[in-house]
Amino acid sequence: MFNTSKTSLTRIGAVALSGAVLVGFAAPALAADGDVIRRGSCSGHSDWKLKASPQNGRIEVEGEVDSNVNNQNWKWRMLHNGTVSARGNATTSGPSGSFSVRRLMVDLSGTDRIGWRATNPTTGETCRGSLGF
Amino acid sequence: MGTAPTKRAARPVWQRPVVQFVVVGLVVAVFLAWLTGVMGERLAQQQAIEDARATTELLADTVVEPALSSGLLDTEAGDLDRFDRLIRDRVLGGDVVRVKVWDAAGRIVYSDEPRLIDESFPLGDDERAVLDNGGSDAEVSDLSRSENSYDQQLGRVLEVYTKVSAPGGQPLLFELYLTDDNLQARTDELFGLFRPLTVGGLLIFLLVTTPLVWLLSRRADAAAADRERLLVMAANASDAERRRVARDLHDGVVQDLAGTSFALAGIARDASPESDLDRTRLQADLERLASAVRRSLLALRSLLVEIYPPQLQAAGLGAALQDLVAQAEQADVDVHVGIQGTDQLSDNATALIWRTAQECVRNSLRHASPERLDVCVVIEGTPGVAKLVVTDDGQGFDPDAAVVPESFGLRGLRDLATEAGGTLAVESAVGQGTRVTLEVPAR
Repeated sequence: MFNTSKTSLTRIGAVALSGAVLVGFAAPALAADGDVIRRGSCSGHSDWKLKASPQNGRIEVEGEVDSNVNNQNWKWRMLHNGTVSARGNATTSGPSGSFSVRRLMVDLSGTDRIGWRATNPTTGETCRGSLGF
Repeated sequence: MGTAPTKRAARPVWQRPVVQFVVVGLVVAVFLAWLTGVMGERLAQQQAIEDARATTELLADTVVEPALSSGLLDTEAGDLDRFDRLIRDRVLGGDVVRVKVWDAAGRIVYSDEPRLIDESFPLGDDERAVLDNGGSDAEVSDLSRSENSYDQQLGRVLEVYTKVSAPGGQPLLFELYLTDDNLQARTDELFGLFRPLTVGGLLIFLLVTTPLVWLLSRRADAAAADRERLLVMAANASDAERRRVARDLHDGVVQDLAGTSFALAGIARDASPESDLDRTRLQADLERLASAVRRSLLALRSLLVEIYPPQLQAAGLGAALQDLVAQAEQADVDVHVGIQGTDQLSDNATALIWRTAQECVRNSLRHASPERLDVCVVIEGTPGVAKLVVTDDGQGFDPDAAVVPESFGLRGLRDLATEAGGTLAVESAVGQGTRVTLEVPAR
């Protein structure tokens, strides 16, 4: 799916192209020590962001959707190694018309695959992102 | 010379009974404090364990078991995350510092220490018994075991485990590690209850009894000093008595017998065949000498009575007193002895009366030069009190003047009278004679 900030430009380009074809554009962002951040575009006009940070033996995962429209209801899910770690509903708000959620995940041995899913039932727009931590 | 009672050397502080009592009491108090501390800690540990078991069982029933899922058993990350968040929110914190969930094979299905997840360790007999039979158990954790390799920083912890069931019915072991903060708090609480009852009580007891012990010790010391003084006085009196007997023999009977001897030698010389014997004069001389010998015999008898009075029981008291005053009669003192109702006198009272009368008569003849001497013994009141009164019209003395050696006899008699439950009073003034009154229980 998406490469980390440390992957080569070649792989970034290939993965970004395929991601853009499926759900929109995704690009790596600047990250603090140990953080992994992914950004991308949803199937409509919204953008998404997924960030993972080490937190006392846990992974703090932050998922965000920015639609620039307030009071939109979204359903979201966080996946951990392909299974649902957390799910819920959220409403966009604030000047940017966005929402974000944070959850802690267990930092298992090996690379943890973390996924971010958000769906707007009204417009049918979907956002999908993932990263390896 | 008599020997004055010597002042006893002060004892070292640690030999004083009060000090010994206080030291022993404090040692006992410290021991009790230690003992109650140990007992309190054991009791507190039991109570803390019971509390921890109850807490663990409650958490297992209300928090853990409802959150168990088959995905957790399969180490699915999402299930682990949800369970972990639940444990961190509702179980960890406070005294709980570690959580583990084991399956029956000894695999750690979940731990808040992620490195332990999916690791396997052999289960102990106690853990397996809980898995098989339910209930819960607790013990102080052995951090040297391999399963606790990540728990070294926890310090002394209590390990409590109970059985929970997964949705499929598989038995699991839910294990909590609790710090001993609660244990220490319980210990302090229980020790706080015991301490006032034991140590405080003993300290109060010490505070109350120490003055009593000090008082008793002072009395015992005073009694010992009295006994020592009486012994010294008795030794002094015995020595003085021997010297007096020797002096009386030398000044009295020996001089009389020497004079009689010289007179007899003169009579024998005058009665030689060559002499012109005056029979009338010889008869008069022999009668005078016979009288002198009788006086000597009487003096010797009086002396013998003084040294050891014969038949010194109540019935013989009158005769003994008569013998005692014989020396006064020889000195041309007008002596009167009166005894009334002394049949019921005990031997001890009789002896004390006789000793007192002896000392008074002796002092009177030696120091007072009396013309009249009265010795009277009567029983007064009910229960009977024996009363001895010795009165002379001699030169008397000032009772408040400095103590002279001879007065030790009366002081000793006063002590004896006090020990016998009686009193001895001396009334005198210079030129006014002397009156000594002894009152002791007759029986």
